[in-house]
Amino acid sequence: MIRAYEKEVSWKAGGLAIAVHLALLGGLLISFNWKAAHPVLNVTEVELWDSIPNSTVTPPPPLPVVEPEVKVEPPPKPIEKVPEPPKPVEREDPKVDIALERKKELEQKQKVIEQKKVEEKLKKDKALEQKKQLAALQEETRKDEMRDSDKQISDKKAKDALKKLQQEALADEKTAGDQQALSAKAATNAGVLDEFRNKIQAKIRGNVNKTLCGEGNPELKFDIGLLPTGEISGSPKLVKSSGNEACDEAVERAIIASQPLPLPSDPSLFSQFRNLKLKFRPND
Amino acid sequence: MTVSVANDMSIFSLVAGASLPVQLVMLILMITSLFSWWYIFIKFFTIKRAEADAENFENSFWTGGDLNKLYEGLTAGRRKPQGMASIFEAGFKEYARHKQQSRMEVSDVMEGSRRAMRAAYNRELDDLDAHLPFLASVGSVSPYIGLFGTVWGIMNAFRGLSTVAQATLSQVAPGIAEALVATAIGLFAAIPAVVAYNRFASSVDRLSVRYESFMEEFTNILQRKS
Repeated sequence: MIRAYEKEVSWKAGGLAIAVHLALLGGLLISFNWKAAHPVLNVTEVELWDSIPNSTVTPPPPLPVVEPEVKVEPPPKPIEKVPEPPKPVEREDPKVDIALERKKELEQKQKVIEQKKVEEKLKKDKALEQKKQLAALQEETRKDEMRDSDKQISDKKAKDALKKLQQEALADEKTAGDQQALSAKAATNAGVLDEFRNKIQAKIRGNVNKTLCGEGNPELKFDIGLLPTGEISGSPKLVKSSGNEACDEAVERAIIASQPLPLPSDPSLFSQFRNLKLKFRPND
Repeated sequence: MTVSVANDMSIFSLVAGASLPVQLVMLILMITSLFSWWYIFIKFFTIKRAEADAENFENSFWTGGDLNKLYEGLTAGRRKPQGMASIFEAGFKEYARHKQQSRMEVSDVMEGSRRAMRAAYNRELDDLDAHLPFLASVGSVSPYIGLFGTVWGIMNAFRGLSTVAQATLSQVAPGIAEALVATAIGLFAAIPAVVAYNRFASSVDRLSVRYESFMEEFTNILQRKS
């Protein structure tokens, strides 16, 4: 290892070598700590506040307005369809007696009447719905001004209105032709959206350590970005703190522990989930 | 894929989180680095001392004192003479021994003392050159060892991504940071070793030239004396 004549300096050299390495380690530690101690949350909090009211409150109103318009179209179609059926019947067996033809005509007339009835009913429904929506909108804007936990209620009302519309649309689809498939799909999509939103909330809620949130009913809001795999991209951003840091962290940990989050299997729906704003009331 | 809440990227967590081969590479490199620095300091002190010794000896030699006295002063010391002094000692001892046997030719005496000096010179040079090959090896090989650790770590980091449909930087970044620590250690070991090797090699070259010229000059002096 070392020569005899080097022995007298070997201890000195060894000490210096260790000192050099300790110095390097110290330098690394200082530089790494300096990088790790970046409090990002406090900075981003302000920025994210004003994006919330826009996206949570404004999007729902336009949706219901569009849907009724789609519904008006279908009724005329069935009328066109009605004259068709007799044709193949005439062609196939020409010896049909008049009684049967009359019966058919009667049926046809009845169908037309029924169709008209349906149309009228739809028009009524539409008017009613628009009224409802107007009321809901007004309520929402009123509630929005108060801007508190009441917001959830207005959200719920808006959602209820949406759901009613969806159900009606579904019922309409049964009476009218396949033209309505598109609007129906949108309706079911909205249903699926809600369903998975609830699923995600439920999964995260199951992972929250509620004891950390203490008494009372704190509310917090988190912004999370999702990957198509259900994983969270980056880290969840705390938008509204509960005022209790331990509680905030507990919810954040729960969000991370809940990966992968449940997502609908239809990839076209994923765009709705890319940026999620979630509200939590751990003590509910 | 678990992402820690606090973005803990301290050097300890990076090393502890690395995979076993990467940790092994880091360990090897740390030991190598410790040894190379140890040798660097040993060489630094010994070469500095050899230079100082050569300076002192040349001063006392060229002041024109009695060679016998100089020789006795060297051999009387507790310490075995080193460097230029040991070459002088070997040459003068051989010369004095031949001188006592008066029947020998001058050329034979000169040849004998020259051989003795050459042998002492080779021993001295061997001591001066000690550990330099180690430093050279560390300088050239440890970056590759570090690179191996890094490549291994990055391979692992990307292999972990194969199950994820969409990769984000945060999924790969910790693995790559871990892996890069290996390269950092390798470079930390290599750079000083290369610098030290070059410096010490040139110092040894200069010393050996100094020793050789001293040998020639001393041979001349002995030839004049006999």
